[in-house]
Amino acid sequence: MGIMRMGYAHVRVTDMAEAKDHYANTLGLYEVLEEDGRVYYKGWDEWDHHSVVLEEGGVGLVKFGFKVQYEYDIDDIEKKAETFGCIVERMSKGENPEVSDGIRIHTPSDHLFEVYHAQTVLGTEVGTHNPESFPRHLVGVGVPAIDHALITCEDVKGMERFLTETFSFYATERVQTSLEPDADYIGTWMTSGNQIHQLAVIAGPQGKLHHFAFKLADWNEVGHAADLFSMDDVPIDVGPTRHGITRGQTVYFFDPAGNRNEVFAGGYTSFPDRPVSIWTPDQIGKGIFYHSRELNDRFTSVLT
Amino acid sequence: MPIVTVHPSGEVIYLDPDETVLSGLYKAGYAYAVGCRRGGCAVCKVDCLRGRFHYNHPIADTVLTAGERADGTCLTCRAVPDGDITIEMRNEDLRLINPFLRQLNEKARVRAKSVVSGTESKEQ
Repeated sequence: MGIMRMGYAHVRVTDMAEAKDHYANTLGLYEVLEEDGRVYYKGWDEWDHHSVVLEEGGVGLVKFGFKVQYEYDIDDIEKKAETFGCIVERMSKGENPEVSDGIRIHTPSDHLFEVYHAQTVLGTEVGTHNPESFPRHLVGVGVPAIDHALITCEDVKGMERFLTETFSFYATERVQTSLEPDADYIGTWMTSGNQIHQLAVIAGPQGKLHHFAFKLADWNEVGHAADLFSMDDVPIDVGPTRHGITRGQTVYFFDPAGNRNEVFAGGYTSFPDRPVSIWTPDQIGKGIFYHSRELNDRFTSVLT
Repeated sequence: MPIVTVHPSGEVIYLDPDETVLSGLYKAGYAYAVGCRRGGCAVCKVDCLRGRFHYNHPIADTVLTAGERADGTCLTCRAVPDGDITIEMRNEDLRLINPFLRQLNEKARVRAKSVVSGTESKEQ
């Protein structure tokens, strides 16, 4: 089926000790490896080796990893990315610890995407044999898994075309300059399966990270996460609130280096044949923050 | 005890030792345009007109250029004054959102000043 999901986010942090406290003790990720100045984490309901990589020094995104179902999907995506005009490199097994061989694509948005077909399987924290519903002693928020990311670039329409043609993603929702067929795109929310979005792109500077998000079950868990952020003095950007776009429930907050994180719940089941929801610029406030119905001054300015 | 004077509006705010400029201004009841509050986004920059400060965390090169490290640019969420400083807001004035905190800060500043000048009465 090609790309199954965004498998990992690799980000820079200014202070590793503070970052570890945030990702392990506040968010409740499980540390699985520390090597060469990098710390690797997984959520309790993830089976692959890691989904978050922290690297000390600077701030912002290093790269994302996307996992395909079959090894031969790599060749297919490599050809499509080259046809699109991207620089694509082969990567060997082990260049990323516990990650298979694959390719590294320099995207039109000036981000680095790795595509791989396997990671060492550690298993979820509840196992596969008559599993309990959740681990008994979660720490902090206890996020089960990474969910999606939002990035910025100058040409959103071009990036949507890239993701459509190389990753076989489809758009579930868009912000367009108008409802006309020749409208330009201000934002696009894209996925491959039934998850409402795996990667969203909004207009802004090339190569920047807006946020990466962790999955939660429902409103109650989102509210509980926000309570814990107050207890741990985590700066909350927005929320708890709802996104009009995706219908998801959310808190935006910042890690100790200033990278924006999100906890995200809900979002409806998407299908490729569902008509795309279109938002117009006058309603973008409601689309992003469904209750306040206006953007805050950080939404477009705080990027790492 | 550092005192921060804010241009152009002229507020004078007392900071606890080792406190960042951002934290001190918010604890004194003020607000202004800030972003991540953790040194990642560069939104809370002001200009330091007088006095010295240091950063209590490493600052990424993407947030503060080499030029900005020398021209008085002050990333307030990570900047700790070494003594009294004067800053100038870039795009807006401070907004007073919590006058109760402002009153407490003013008392703390006056008390600190009287300690320094030796005029503090025994009852205080």
